[in-house]
Amino acid sequence: MAETHQEGGSGGDFDLSQFYQIFFEEAGENLDQMEQMLLNLNLETADDEELNGIFRCAHSVKGGAATFGFADVAELTHQMESLLDRLRRHELQPNASMVDVLLESADASRSLLARHQAGDEGEALPTGDLVKRISVLAAGGVLEAPKAAAPTPTAPTVSKPEVQQPQSASPKGARRLEIVIGPLEKPEQADAIQELFRDIPGLGSITPGASAQSSLKVFHAETSSTDDELLDLFAFHVSRDRVKITTQSAPAASAPAKDEGFGFFEGAAGSPSQVQAPVVAQPATEAGFGFFDGAPGVPSASPESTAVVVAASHETASAVKAVAKPNPAIAAQPEAATIRVAISKVDQLINLVGELVITQAMLAQNSRALDPAVYQQLLTGLADLDRNTRDLQESVMSIRMIPMSIVFSRFPRMLRDLAGKLGKKVEFVTQGEATELDKGLVEKITDPLTHLVRNSCDHGIEMPAERLAAGKSESGTITLSASHQGGSIVIEVRDDGRGLSRTKILNKARERGLDVSDQMSDAEVWQLIFAPGFSTAAVVTDVSGRGVGMDVVKKNITALNGTVDIDSAEGYGMKVSVRLPLTLAIMDGMSVGVGEEVYILPLSSVIESFQVKADAVSTVGQGSQLVKVRDEYMPVIELEKVFQIPRFDFEKSSDIMVVVEADGSRVALLVDELLGQQQVVVKNLESNYRKVPNVSGATILGDGKVALILDTGALVRRSRH
Amino acid sequence: MGMMEKLNELATSGAREYLTFRLDQEEYGIDILKVQEIRGYEPPTRVANAPSFIKGVVNLRGTIVPIVDMRLKFNCSKSEYNSFTVVIVLNLRNRIVGIVVDSVSDVMELPPESLKTAPDIESVIDSSAVLGLGSVGERMLILLDIEKLMSAPEMGLVSAAD
Repeated sequence: MAETHQEGGSGGDFDLSQFYQIFFEEAGENLDQMEQMLLNLNLETADDEELNGIFRCAHSVKGGAATFGFADVAELTHQMESLLDRLRRHELQPNASMVDVLLESADASRSLLARHQAGDEGEALPTGDLVKRISVLAAGGVLEAPKAAAPTPTAPTVSKPEVQQPQSASPKGARRLEIVIGPLEKPEQADAIQELFRDIPGLGSITPGASAQSSLKVFHAETSSTDDELLDLFAFHVSRDRVKITTQSAPAASAPAKDEGFGFFEGAAGSPSQVQAPVVAQPATEAGFGFFDGAPGVPSASPESTAVVVAASHETASAVKAVAKPNPAIAAQPEAATIRVAISKVDQLINLVGELVITQAMLAQNSRALDPAVYQQLLTGLADLDRNTRDLQESVMSIRMIPMSIVFSRFPRMLRDLAGKLGKKVEFVTQGEATELDKGLVEKITDPLTHLVRNSCDHGIEMPAERLAAGKSESGTITLSASHQGGSIVIEVRDDGRGLSRTKILNKARERGLDVSDQMSDAEVWQLIFAPGFSTAAVVTDVSGRGVGMDVVKKNITALNGTVDIDSAEGYGMKVSVRLPLTLAIMDGMSVGVGEEVYILPLSSVIESFQVKADAVSTVGQGSQLVKVRDEYMPVIELEKVFQIPRFDFEKSSDIMVVVEADGSRVALLVDELLGQQQVVVKNLESNYRKVPNVSGATILGDGKVALILDTGALVRRSRH
Repeated sequence: MGMMEKLNELATSGAREYLTFRLDQEEYGIDILKVQEIRGYEPPTRVANAPSFIKGVVNLRGTIVPIVDMRLKFNCSKSEYNSFTVVIVLNLRNRIVGIVVDSVSDVMELPPESLKTAPDIESVIDSSAVLGLGSVGERMLILLDIEKLMSAPEMGLVSAAD
């Protein structure tokens, strides 16, 4: 579906279509979340957290929509955002009509998105009226009559979901029946047949009737099925001879349509072509409102039913569907080529596979002593098991790991449009796209990165003339890089723009009543821009400047146990480094043995290893040791001492040095032996235990034992003092 | 929380089931609902700079779980590791920890009225982590608030920052 999508904006040189699905899913989630929060919002006592949350949802949808060139959605959400921004700043008091309008706008955004998702077919829902109403509210005005439930007159009101039960509407014939069941020992048994009508689409409807005898049950049903068919069905619950079916008054063929399908079919008849048009969610819901009124057993128009209704509208007329119970199966969309699965389920899968691999290794070990001639079949089986387990492990692992390029490749197009809009010239450079990152992290890091890149372009990079005046090249450069560093993943967003202005930030902070002083270090000042609502941009554009970005960035990254650091020099640019812990990331490790114990070193920090001669080590001052490696002296760290490793075999001693680098410095670690290299799954030690000095995590070795992963960064820092 | 309140709390919640285990000559009971599973002892991976009663960490189906030897914690005279040594895996507020005991004896239901307040005596166990004493026939059962015991700072199981 996405492939057929026509670009609304300027013809991109970059194919974004692969990300549409992600955007639609994310936007849907954001809108759902916003709706939820709006509904829970207490008008009198709305707190900042809630208002900020709602605002962020709108902001995220806007950001995404703008990125993908869905101007109508971006425009609408921008208006919502303006209103929410004033609410957030307590310049306006939230009231019910605002909530109504916002909810309506959320619905409208959803329907606009649905239209884009369906390939921009059909008529777009006009949003002019909504936009006007929002701006009236945002300006502090009052709406005359909130009309949340009134369908927009111009909206296409034709939708298919309500095409229900063609059989029942067909002249061939719904019949009205009286079904008497009994006598039964347990008359409740008969109630089960009501479920049949509910569960089988197109069977018809049934209502319990009054019965004179307690052992008899009477139902009134409307169905097009023959008596025999019904009896066959009922036979699941009651025996045939206990069921008596009598036909009642004349067939009321049009009755269901009259009850439930009225004005609707009229519209359809007038414009049959529209029936095929993908129907936007909003009118469908609203049409549904008017339409279902008074119909028994109709579900309230909750967001879920909205979704189903929209989905169903893509189905052909044969989609038989009991209105009272929308069949979720019909919601299966052709574009659902991916499924969204809870990360915890994948984690569980990974853990289980890990266990399986260990069990398999154990079996392989134990079977080695068997005589191949006698146990040939068993051994063949075990060999198969070995291969299958490995394949399985690989596949399961690959579920989680995706390269950063997936995230990075979202940006060129976005930057291009953005730079065009702002009249700037920007070159975009990416480094380390192949760095693999856990899917969970990638999903969560995308939004913060989007904000950072947008900020760089909007605030960082100067206008071409300004750049030339400052003696820089006309076009600015934004660099996005990813690397594994010191056992963490570091993602950097760099620009060579104007950098942060210390004075501006301090002034702005004072304006906002934050506690600041001129004595604060640069790093502390830079951290101020993470405060909610903090923005130094003079004009609020639809790109950025509302100060929501950095607030979200910080929040999202902290939630991942990561840190954000800013480095900036006024006039020269700015660098934002996002450091994420390697929880759940897969790491290439080098296992080293000390005494009886095994430790893992992140391979990325290992530079070299060599056997050391006693005379290469010299002692300085307080007994700290230095080793000379090719004209460079570096501190020696004896793992045996750092980790108080007991030594039982005094024949062996540490005589191998592994040079590791972290934070730009190198140290030599003294170990007994090098055991090998392997990919390890990093486990968090702190989820059940506490932080261990010089250890960044743990992993499980092939034999099921736990090995600790060394924190080379901490070891290097340790050597410095 | 005062001792009486604690007993009241026990009393209001009705009879509870306790898993009882032995450490040396003493018998202890812990709330069965805190117990996730019971396994044999396997040598854990030592963790540097940990107190002696923390034996290290083991792999419990992919989860890294710290192992505390209760016999070392309670200064028992000996702590051997043999095929009878048992690890009780506890799930305390979503943190998993294993405790090493000499043996697991029983699961028993104790009505609140059979619980006695523990006298304030000098002991290696923080008295606030003792819920009370239960008597079952001739046997005396020391009922522990295992969650409190394990989350105490001196156990060193949680980072100071938490």
